[in-house]
Amino acid sequence: VERLGSDVGLTIAPESRAAVAQHLTALLAAARLIDEFPIPDAEPAPHFEP
Amino acid sequence: VIDAATSALDIAARVRGGKIRARDVVAGALERIAQRDAALNAFTSVLRERALSDAETLDRRLAAGQDPGPLAGVPFAAKNLFDIAGLSTLAGSKINADNPPAVRDATAVARLRAAGAVLIGALNMDEYAYGFSTENTHYGPTRNPHDPSRMAGGSSGGSASAVAGGLVPLGLGTDTNGSIRVPAALCGTFGLKPTFGRVSRSGVVPLAWSFDHVGPFARHVADLAAAFDAIAGPDPLDPVCSTRPAVRCTEQLGRGVQGLRIALLGGHFTRLAADEVLAAVGRVASALNATREVTLPEVHRARAAAQVITACEAGAYHLDRLRSRARDFDPMTRDRLLAATLVPAAAYVSAQRFRAWFRTRAAEIFRDTDVVLAPTVPWTAPTIGAPWTTRIGATEVLTRGHLGAFTQPLSFIGLPVLSVPIVAPGALPVGVQLIAAPFNEAALFRVAAWLEAEGVVRSPVA
Repeated sequence: VERLGSDVGLTIAPESRAAVAQHLTALLAAARLIDEFPIPDAEPAPHFEP
Repeated sequence: VIDAATSALDIAARVRGGKIRARDVVAGALERIAQRDAALNAFTSVLRERALSDAETLDRRLAAGQDPGPLAGVPFAAKNLFDIAGLSTLAGSKINADNPPAVRDATAVARLRAAGAVLIGALNMDEYAYGFSTENTHYGPTRNPHDPSRMAGGSSGGSASAVAGGLVPLGLGTDTNGSIRVPAALCGTFGLKPTFGRVSRSGVVPLAWSFDHVGPFARHVADLAAAFDAIAGPDPLDPVCSTRPAVRCTEQLGRGVQGLRIALLGGHFTRLAADEVLAAVGRVASALNATREVTLPEVHRARAAAQVITACEAGAYHLDRLRSRARDFDPMTRDRLLAATLVPAAAYVSAQRFRAWFRTRAAEIFRDTDVVLAPTVPWTAPTIGAPWTTRIGATEVLTRGHLGAFTQPLSFIGLPVLSVPIVAPGALPVGVQLIAAPFNEAALFRVAAWLEAEGVVRSPVA
């Protein structure tokens, strides 16, 4: 968490690191749940009409 | 006599008819706030002098024969996420208190004022709208008028508490993952999250651009419709606001439910919820004679995708503040936002792709169904300061996060949803979501008005 934070210019205080790691773990678990599902033909770009 | 229980439209009718002055209505609301808000903590700013001055101006316009609008003299208040000219837009934060005052009202605030409503103040919320509880560390928790030891819900907790407590008949809030519907249900009010793009978000601090919505709270369906009619419609200041003209919902209220195809949302929406919540859905379904069940696939993944998109967009929006002032964030939000900045980009794109797929699945339901029913919240209001996790059956869930279990997968794809309150005597309120296809708010108002007229749903002053 400390290194990842530093990569995006954040200083994560020592007392926050455990909580940030816990929340990041939960978000990555959510991301994994999506990755495990094969999404057919889904277009993520916003609809654009010039 | 105008009191806490008087509806917004009743107030407007009496003001327009010259039976009472707007100034007296506003003075009454200010008096109720003075009496009760110390206990509820719904307001972060009360605009006493400005509200009285606006009301006097309105009285003078009426005396001069001008029409001040359909909500003439109706007091309202807005979540402090909305710009209010002359006030710094707190967004529930300490950091934003250092911002200069807003130079103009948010579009929704301006439109309610243009309809004759009088802005009374700004309302408490979760910091940066990233929560379901309004246990704000900087400004204190907002309390539930039905039981002040309990949460009002969030993030628009001040809006729900102020309306449920009868301090104002109308409130404005925002809803990204449930922030109108969750507090509306826990406090026992009506709350509308319109279709994405139906109401302008101009002048509102974002949480997640992909599904931030603006909507009203009220204790009467007709009031909710009048507020929605006042704020809905195109706005060039919001680039995602739809250009299609708004259907006036006030005119739909007396049409009844005949001909509407109503179904129950099954699967995910029937699990991990308290018995009284499922019973409330059953009561509404029974009144509407709705027996058919429809299901949405992969709802647990939709929730996950909503969480990832919200986190990534909120993390990106707050990145500069997290770099420079992390210690000034509310501890309830800071660590979650810090984590949000570290999520890989691929996760965000996959979540957006899933969203596109899931939206198409929902559209299939509405080919032969007009309105579907689901619980709003999984249980009644938890106590303020409740433990981080709660056990429901054999499953342990996040006490606050799980409040959005039934709202998150729906706002995520922009569907219009109206939460109706079930308030049994001696019990805490719960809510039932009425859900329709995009831009079909009219069907929701027909059902809500019918349920209210039949006495199935109601929102008494708490």
